[in-house]
Amino acid sequence: MRRCLREWLLLGTLSYLVAGCAFDVVHVKQAPTSFTSGEGKAFKLDREVKVNLGTGFPTTLKAGTVWTLAGSSQHGDVYRTRDQVVKVEASNIYEAFIVVADESLVGFYLPVEETFAPIKKPIELQIDSLDP
Amino acid sequence: MKRSLPFLVLLACWLVTSGCASGPKFREVSGTFPALGTDEGRIYIYRTTTFGGAIQPSVRLDEQRVGKAIPKGFFFVDRSPGGYQIATSTEVDRTLSLTLEQGQIRFVRLDVSMGFMVGHVYPVLVDDAVGKKEIENCSYTGTSGK
Repeated sequence: MRRCLREWLLLGTLSYLVAGCAFDVVHVKQAPTSFTSGEGKAFKLDREVKVNLGTGFPTTLKAGTVWTLAGSSQHGDVYRTRDQVVKVEASNIYEAFIVVADESLVGFYLPVEETFAPIKKPIELQIDSLDP
Repeated sequence: MKRSLPFLVLLACWLVTSGCASGPKFREVSGTFPALGTDEGRIYIYRTTTFGGAIQPSVRLDEQRVGKAIPKGFFFVDRSPGGYQIATSTEVDRTLSLTLEQGQIRFVRLDVSMGFMVGHVYPVLVDDAVGKKEIENCSYTGTSGK
């Protein structure tokens, strides 16, 4: 009986602790960034790109998607697409735009948070420039 | 033990599939929804899975309750363009950040994953084509709050 009570107490304490914590185990590393709206440039992505932010949830940019300039940040030009949903994912999920510098993907701009989530190593993009 | 087995099986089935939405299906009712306002976009929020059906947390949009995560159910909210956070709480909080533009229609699916004590229900932004297809067989549960 006492052992049973002890087990229930332990379970209850664990539940309380678990319920009390946010369980926000995996984070997207992000920092506030500048953003200035803009337009006028566009490109088509020739080859699929898989990006891993180290959260265990890779983001895929599909081949054939068309990206238009949304603005610029201190890290590069910010592009968005209407051809797919782009999101970065950890414990929480964030809609994202891509940040491109010198035709390489350098990270993501999170428009709701107004932050920049960098990738470890820039990824060169295979693109076709399009007339705006 | 043998005699209680059927009961346990029934209980397990109930826990997995209970509480499905029973209103009119999206394809039957979507034509009756009001047109979008001139400066609004629409977010459809739906749950396709019956897994963890007993867990039906509230869905919040920027901390305001807008509906409930009922299996096979959907509801929608119309909002001004801008950035929003959609959140659910079970034993953990899960949020989705998304943007909404004028006239835009977005689809957010409520997925379920295993948790420590209970399952986690979390919002996922899906491609329009996926959302349009998946929501077809969901039933309208109504929106609460605005």
